Amino acid sequence: MSLIKQLWIAIILVMTMAFAASTVTSVLSARQYLQQQLQVKNMDNATALALSLTQLPKDPVMMELQVAAQFDAGHYRFIRIVSPTGEKLVERVFEGKIEGAPAWFANLIPIVVQPGQALIQDNWKQYGLLTLASQEQYVYKSLWEGTLELLLWFVLGGIATGVAGTFLLRYITRPLNDVVGQAEAISERRFVLIPEPHTPELRALARGMNDMVNRLKAMFNEESARLDALRKKVNRDAVTGLSSREYFMAHLREVLTGEQFAASGSLVLVRLMDLNELNAILGRQATDSLLKEVGTELYESGNGRIGQRAGRVKGAEFAVVCPSHETALAAAQEIHDRLLNQVLPRWKDQVPDLFHIGAVRYRREQSIGSLMSSADEALAKAANKGTNTFEAVDDAQAKPAIAAETWRNLLTEAARGDRLALSFFPVMSGDGKQLLHRESAVRLKMDEAGTLMSAGDFMPMAAQLNLTAPLDLGVVNMAIAHLQSNSGDVAVNLSAETIADFHFRNELALLLKAQPDACKRLLFEVPEYGVFRQFDAFRDLARTLKALGCRVGVEYFGQRFAESDKLADLALDYIKVHPSYVRGIADNNGNQEFLTGLCKVAHAIGITVLALGVERPEDLALLAKLGFDGATGPGIR
Amino acid sequence: MLQARRVLQQCLWQLQRLVRRGRLVGLGVVVAALLALGLGFGLAATDYDRMLNLAQQQYGAPAAQTVAAWRKLIEESAALAEADKLNKVNTFFNRRVLYKSDMEVYKVEDYWATPLEFMGHGAGDCEDFSIAKYITLRILGVPNERLRLIYVRYQSGNTAPIAHMVLGYYAQPLDEPVILDNMVSSVRPASMRPDLSPVYSFNSDGLWVGGATTSSADPTARLSRWRDVLERMRQDGLAF
Repeated sequence: MSLIKQLWIAIILVMTMAFAASTVTSVLSARQYLQQQLQVKNMDNATALALSLTQLPKDPVMMELQVAAQFDAGHYRFIRIVSPTGEKLVERVFEGKIEGAPAWFANLIPIVVQPGQALIQDNWKQYGLLTLASQEQYVYKSLWEGTLELLLWFVLGGIATGVAGTFLLRYITRPLNDVVGQAEAISERRFVLIPEPHTPELRALARGMNDMVNRLKAMFNEESARLDALRKKVNRDAVTGLSSREYFMAHLREVLTGEQFAASGSLVLVRLMDLNELNAILGRQATDSLLKEVGTELYESGNGRIGQRAGRVKGAEFAVVCPSHETALAAAQEIHDRLLNQVLPRWKDQVPDLFHIGAVRYRREQSIGSLMSSADEALAKAANKGTNTFEAVDDAQAKPAIAAETWRNLLTEAARGDRLALSFFPVMSGDGKQLLHRESAVRLKMDEAGTLMSAGDFMPMAAQLNLTAPLDLGVVNMAIAHLQSNSGDVAVNLSAETIADFHFRNELALLLKAQPDACKRLLFEVPEYGVFRQFDAFRDLARTLKALGCRVGVEYFGQRFAESDKLADLALDYIKVHPSYVRGIADNNGNQEFLTGLCKVAHAIGITVLALGVERPEDLALLAKLGFDGATGPGIR
Repeated sequence: MLQARRVLQQCLWQLQRLVRRGRLVGLGVVVAALLALGLGFGLAATDYDRMLNLAQQQYGAPAAQTVAAWRKLIEESAALAEADKLNKVNTFFNRRVLYKSDMEVYKVEDYWATPLEFMGHGAGDCEDFSIAKYITLRILGVPNERLRLIYVRYQSGNTAPIAHMVLGYYAQPLDEPVILDNMVSSVRPASMRPDLSPVYSFNSDGLWVGGATTSSADPTARLSRWRDVLERMRQDGLAF
């Protein structure tokens, strides 16, 4: 029972006892006093009346009138004169009834007042015995009213005391609430710190809990740092800091087969002079420094471009995958400009013919082999063109780009709810036997024939047109509708752009509040780059969604692993690890070690770990051994 | 011993008063039981030894002799007819006690003495005579309704009228009473007393609340001269 409830019960008990005691005391003492007064009044009035009647001639009419006058003007229950022989001479009795007190109350405190008696003389003879009793009914009424008034005061006093006590208790226990809040947060896997309260008892408690949280965070950070170092060692080229060949190829494969990016994009190859020649001209140290400069430029060319990634694919050959450039020409031009302006000036004296660039377009589902060989062709053409040149081959057969106006119409219609469809992909448990949930992927119906376009193709355009929020709401609506007619849970992707939209967050909360049953079966996930780009917005969203009973996760997790300590106090339910780490896992011991550590850390703070982009069903057993709780991908459908 | 008993009674009286006012509800039962033991049994019958002791202590040997004689009178008269009781009692007090005004005896304008005080001082005024006779007759078993203390106007011959009190005895309810008067040595019917004219009469009927043998709990008892003297005689040890 809460302290405030206990306080109220104590106040009610004390007030009831105080009320009972003071009612009994006041009623009894008032009754005693009133009884005495009535007794004296009875005696005195009997004497006075008898005295005056004794002086009068004993005419019956006269007696009657005297008694009547006294009775009518006074406050009597009865006045009676009885002769010495017992004959009733005169009698007046009050017939009315004074209402006001309930019968049980009157019975509880009987008022015993003896009637007053006095003798009336007729000269020496006795005329009669005068008996009178004052009216006493009013006593019950006034005692009852007094009791009610007392009750009212006690109730008011009780309420006032209770309210004051509640506020006082709140004030006193406010530090306690902080500690309790922290304990609750920790049990929800949010590792928060609280200011130490002034109350000594609570201060020790808060300090202990803060220490524990700090130790947990330190352990987590230490482990994360170790894992991050491992991840870099495995997946990065040591000299340039770019992706290693293996990691770049895994990423490229994801771009070509996954749904995260548009169906087509550009691949740029950059080839320096042969590495051995460079070493001969520049010496090893200078060569490394050149490679590093080129790597830095290529890395920076991807800043602000989602999915763009550069890797060192051979000794002096680099590749950049550019999903967001409109044409191969634009991609090649930008990289060419950078190298020409930032790198070449320093080296052209020693190495005048520093680099060549070849760029081609790729389409989804194209094989890596054909893509690389066409890029090699372009590179060869560039080498024939002259020093430090580039060759870009844009796909002539590619579908004409859709005009911006058409996009706007299509997406506006989609935002209204038409034209959207959902595809579902199963996410299976680590042993491959159990369906954990279905991941939904949004599709846009392009035309009457029902040609579907996947999210990667139209969401970048929707982001430009500021239409992701209505599209995401549409997806949530469809997911809820799906839940109503199907069993199992459904995961919904939210765009990075959308989560920053305050209006969207409100609307989503309103929509979900109306569907408490669906909330328990809904999972919301946001891509990792979106989480870190809009971290505060994501934290708010995660709190709102979790309060409603939904689960929240991060997808495409792992590329910004160094920052992931921020996620520790968000109470995330799950992460979906980026396919780049998952593809080819069987042959990559380094990534196996990294993922094992990642699973351990995540499990330590209660986060479920799922793998994305699993291509071969055989990999599932290995992933389960590494610690994955589940997986999804083309190999699991 | 007697002093202690007095103190105890005072204490009980105070306690009982508190209880009646509702201040000490819890003690009520205990106090009631103590009262029943201490007062009830103690006052069930007139305590002549106590009265004798009090007379000896407070007023000396002559007073004690008077009280002893009074006790003897009661013992001797118990079996007599009511008319004889009247005569005996009337004669006893008229002969044995002197008439003196309250100013002389008590140095106050008006004082109603208990029979013990009356006999102790060996003097008193008309009220004291009437009260002592009334109480004695009550002890002798004369029913209350036959006895009346009567305020009378007394005028003898051409002297100035004075306020006076006598005791009247009504053999039958509708009869004229006979009068016991300290001014006249014998008991006479009212018709033979033209010097008296009655004003008002009373006795102790209707004074006791709820049939209690004592009204000492009621502070108002002390405020009426009549109830006050009745109360004090009970404390002297009189029961009637």
